[in-house]
Amino acid sequence: MSDPAEVEHRRQALRDLSRRGFLTTTAAGATAIAADMGHINALQSEAVTKQLKQNDTRVILLWLAGGASQFETWDPKPGAKTGGPFRAIPTNANGVHISELLPQLAKRMQHTAVIRSLNTRIADHGGGASLMETGRVRDPGLDFPDLGAVVARELGRLDSQVPDYVSLYTSTEGRRKGTSGVLGSRYAPMFLSDNMIPLNLAQLDAVSSVDHEDRAALRDVFARKFSKNRSSAAVDSHMSAYQRVRGLMASEQLFNVENEPAEVRARYGPTQFGEQCLIARRLVEAGVPFVKVARAWWDSHGQNFETHQELCADLDHTMSVLLDDLSERGLLENTLIITLGEFGRTPRINASLGRDHFANAWSCSLSGHGIRGGSVYGKTDPEGNTVVDGEASAADLFATVLQALGIDHEHEYMVGARPIPMADFGSSPINDVLA
Amino acid sequence: MTRRICAVLTSFVVLFHSAGFASENKLLPADTLIQDAIDHYLQMGIAKNGISAVTHASDETILRRTTLDLAGRIPTRPEQEWYKQRLPDERREQLVDRLLSLPDAAYHQANEIDSHLLSNSPYNGEFREYLLWATKEKRSWDQMFRDMLLAKPEEGPLQGATQFLRTRIREVDDLTNDTAILFLGINVSCAKCHDHPLVDDWKQDHFYGMQAFFSRTYQTKKNVVAEKFFDEVKFKTTEGEDKLASFMFLTGDVVPDATPEFSDEARKELEEKIRKAEREDDSEAPVPDFSPRMQLVDIALRDDHNAFFAKNIVNRVWARMLGTGLVTPLDQMHSGNPPSHPELLAWLARDLKQNGYDLNRLIRGVALCEAYAGDSEWTSAAEPPQDQYFAVARTRPLTHRQLALSLQVASTSPVNWPAAEASDEWTQKRESLENRANGWARDFEQPKEDFQIAVDEALFFSNNARVYDDVLRDSGDRLIGHLKAFEDDAQLVAALWEAVLSRIPDEEERNAAVAWLQRENEDRVEKIRQLSWTLLAGPEFRFNH
Amino acid sequence: MDEIDTSANTPVAKSAAEPAISSVKIARSFSLPGAVFCVAGGCLPSQLYFGSSEFGVYRVDSDAEKPEPTAVSDSKHSSYVTGLVRIGDALISGSYDGSLIWWDASTGDVRHRVNSAHDKWIRQIAISPDGSTVASVGDDMKTRVWNAETADSIAAWDGYELMTPHGYPSMLYAVAFSPDGKWLATGNRTGKVLIRNAATGGVEATLETPVMYTWDPKARRHSIGGIRSLSFSSDSQLLAVGGMGVVVNIDHLGGASRIEVFNWQSGEKKFEIEDTKFKGLVEQLQFGPDDKWLVAAGGDNGGFVSVYEGAAGTLLAQEKTPMHVFDFQLSADGSTLRAVGFEQASVVDIA
Repeated sequence: MSDPAEVEHRRQALRDLSRRGFLTTTAAGATAIAADMGHINALQSEAVTKQLKQNDTRVILLWLAGGASQFETWDPKPGAKTGGPFRAIPTNANGVHISELLPQLAKRMQHTAVIRSLNTRIADHGGGASLMETGRVRDPGLDFPDLGAVVARELGRLDSQVPDYVSLYTSTEGRRKGTSGVLGSRYAPMFLSDNMIPLNLAQLDAVSSVDHEDRAALRDVFARKFSKNRSSAAVDSHMSAYQRVRGLMASEQLFNVENEPAEVRARYGPTQFGEQCLIARRLVEAGVPFVKVARAWWDSHGQNFETHQELCADLDHTMSVLLDDLSERGLLENTLIITLGEFGRTPRINASLGRDHFANAWSCSLSGHGIRGGSVYGKTDPEGNTVVDGEASAADLFATVLQALGIDHEHEYMVGARPIPMADFGSSPINDVLA
Repeated sequence: MTRRICAVLTSFVVLFHSAGFASENKLLPADTLIQDAIDHYLQMGIAKNGISAVTHASDETILRRTTLDLAGRIPTRPEQEWYKQRLPDERREQLVDRLLSLPDAAYHQANEIDSHLLSNSPYNGEFREYLLWATKEKRSWDQMFRDMLLAKPEEGPLQGATQFLRTRIREVDDLTNDTAILFLGINVSCAKCHDHPLVDDWKQDHFYGMQAFFSRTYQTKKNVVAEKFFDEVKFKTTEGEDKLASFMFLTGDVVPDATPEFSDEARKELEEKIRKAEREDDSEAPVPDFSPRMQLVDIALRDDHNAFFAKNIVNRVWARMLGTGLVTPLDQMHSGNPPSHPELLAWLARDLKQNGYDLNRLIRGVALCEAYAGDSEWTSAAEPPQDQYFAVARTRPLTHRQLALSLQVASTSPVNWPAAEASDEWTQKRESLENRANGWARDFEQPKEDFQIAVDEALFFSNNARVYDDVLRDSGDRLIGHLKAFEDDAQLVAALWEAVLSRIPDEEERNAAVAWLQRENEDRVEKIRQLSWTLLAGPEFRFNH
Repeated sequence: MDEIDTSANTPVAKSAAEPAISSVKIARSFSLPGAVFCVAGGCLPSQLYFGSSEFGVYRVDSDAEKPEPTAVSDSKHSSYVTGLVRIGDALISGSYDGSLIWWDASTGDVRHRVNSAHDKWIRQIAISPDGSTVASVGDDMKTRVWNAETADSIAAWDGYELMTPHGYPSMLYAVAFSPDGKWLATGNRTGKVLIRNAATGGVEATLETPVMYTWDPKARRHSIGGIRSLSFSSDSQLLAVGGMGVVVNIDHLGGASRIEVFNWQSGEKKFEIEDTKFKGLVEQLQFGPDDKWLVAAGGDNGGFVSVYEGAAGTLLAQEKTPMHVFDFQLSADGSTLRAVGFEQASVVDIA
């Protein structure tokens, strides 16, 4: 029934297990776990960071949930009827001006490209978010994965000891979980909504470390016996899911900002967005391919300018620190930072001094890996009502992002019998913003 | 509009012209037993391709597999005892008939249909009430289709049938696509804005033709599913031409538009009434004589030639029980994607239709065929035969509900189970089991085609407090409490294996487990708990194999 | 004194004696370009000067058959004009651009310009009752006092945190002199009121109105609200503070309009008003003649003018305005209120 080598392998595993079981006191088990943690920490060493630099690209998506105003960020129109009260300020990129609400980012435009000509048409939260998360209009019957899942799949390693896709979504409307769609739950995000540490990552106090480790080893012995002659993707996924448990548990420490030196934490600042971006930096540093940090609440139907004073201050400071920190660690050239939301905001200022939903002419930014810093693509009219040059769709943006990451945007996933390209049909990358 | 190209669509052309997958007059006689027909057709495929014959799974495996498929849970200890006492030649048939007679069969069938039809809004209480009522009443599948698609305002459990439409009513595309996919096995969504140069109009005609059956459907303020008196579906062809959709079924058959003529005044009056019904609590919706949805139901059930309706459910029940559809993916029933066994699918569809769409009859037949009893292990050095021959049983992940229910069964003390029977007492037992399991099922993912298990689940089993405090609780009525009473470790291990895996351990397993229990320096109960965990978190428990 | 019931917002029947107000009526409304944030009275009651989102200072005759605003000057600020006062033939305006400008009201000449009066947005300016000094507040969280004639800086006072307790930039919205000229009150985003000695800047009293500031700690993590208006009673003893109550969905101005009235020297809160019929910010407040009543105006997407009884805050009369009101001028006898706001102005009769 079973071949002798396999039986011997299992016997040996059991012998190892018993030996450890019989010999161990808690100390030995603790050492084993410390070794696991060491593996994660090792990723922070210079040698590993360098290796990461050569091999791996990462994405941090700063999701401006609710829809940030392009006027108060990347496409200011000072003096126009629709322009609002803020000034435009020069940046360190020649001739490029952005809103005065982003003074620190203005000094770091060598990293950043701005796209000012998104025309994505869909201006309701659900539809807009779905469009900008997946790069295509929601199509019943086609459960297309979002950008995070695509990147997790294309850039993640199968044997990864860290999560592939982490979504920090503690404060925003709708708590959109993200979807791995047809790629399956292997690429679904590790989703944080209430706590800064993912669910079920920490070991229960009631289970000793020795037991936790040893029982996993014994489970593995029984599991291998079962799965040896029952090869299927589903059975294999069960096996690899359990194999990733201990590594992921070690990555719990990645979510703990207390592990960062006080000066680094102080640099990111006290806001939740700051802390989450610090976690994002820790995660990409350890090899997580895609981290989404959602920052609410840009849906400024009332008091648009005050809202942006608060939120842009947060974005400006935190993103600047993130760029500096990644750059100092040599990680920025391998990390693409995207600022994006479901849409922009209306040129018209309403009676509550708010701006409403608007998807016909808005902006986003791309920084870091694969991006031609200091570039601006596309143009809106003087009042920001329409795109007058370089109109780009959600699909074009996706093609651009994938291209920047070195992923063929025309590569197709088979969905049932339908071949579906990663960036929607008819899209093309915006080469002007690519390095 | 974004341009889309759907490669599969070419195949639709062939479908509606050469239509059927197998000619009916060449099929086995209608009075053949279902299992015999299945064996006959599968054997033809196996023989033709030189594949070695099916090896049978062990009795214990067949008991577990069949109980999971027909009752939605693993067998209890009395059920294991009962099975052992049957005569070997009669066991399987008696098991299948016994399981189908239990209340569990209705619960399980309701759970399966629920996952199938309402996976996008799970745990819908009204829908579940309807399904349980329908499966307990052994309502036929065509009747359930009518219940759900006509969605008449009814009192009592029938009320819940309206949920199929109500949960999709905001989006006519969802109504169209989901009805086609879930009831007819055809995904037409890619025909919406398709631009194939040869068959362009034809395909859009089908998509919008199907949509026309739903475009008048709306919901009143009182949550009644109603239909308007007039509405026309217009679409733009890829040539930019505006076109009016007819009531066209997937086969290309068109239902004549019997919308009566209305004077402008009558039209206005009706529109006003409908507007009121949409907005006001105390307004009744006027009911039109011509109901496109009723026409759709009729034409779908009338379609003897393609039999999409019957074939779809046969294919889905088949995939549920054998792990792979006769047509796969399940929503691609077209001639570009022919069934692995066209005659078998045609025969089963005909049989289902001729026997009043009795799903239990179909399930019984499948459960008794040879392929269903096959071994899921492939030990030969040669490559295993492809899934489509059904020569090796598939290892299938449990659904979220099967897993949750089985966890409840396994973690209960085996001696606490009465013998399951068709009684009110057992119905109540099952009901409370369902309720407890529901709380757990929400933590597990609903499997879809090509399901993979996420690391979240492994983390849940590894570190969630409920697994430790509930499943592994040390109390008299629980598995752990039962096990700790054994003084002999080997007996304890045997009892554990039987409770969780429905079989006795082999020597290697027993030795490893006993060695675990004899480790030093530890609380014995804790060791029992962790040993139990190794099985509950293992693949053998997680899968139906 | 009447029986006090702070919860009742229904108009009370007018008694034979006091108070005398039973109606608020919009006499006329007319269009103005942009969002009009501030208004100052001219020599004639009907003559109004205003500053707006068009960056300039304008004049309009509110009694004209077809009111046509005209620019006071060819010069403009470089952002929204949010504060405006008049002393004789001079207008003094403050803007989000951080500058103060002294204009000749008739020629439009710029007499003085202080370019960096504040490092951030100027939110409001006020003139002392004797017309000698002007106070300005801005988001640099400073209160500055200027010689109304020469534009010389007299004083700059701190006393507010630059950031909110939650780590975001704070804002200093409101400033008002007491009628006796002795005191200067200011109010910020988080609901803190400082009452200073107007001459020395010494803080005489601190009041907290935390309800005016909604911080959503969970879902949205940002804030809305703040103290938007301040007004002393004629005896300078009471201070009315205007803003908005707790907001659930802070994307919108969805809180009750809110007023708290203090006996500021003792710190005792005399009464508070939460009006859920008209939601949004109380952008401007003023005690009427003899403090018998208090008029408040503001809004959310729409707007309101409400009159409350002065001693206890009972609602006397109110009316919906065609626009969110940012500022108003109240005639000396209290009978006419000229309100400006989003793209409109209204003349309101109070009787």
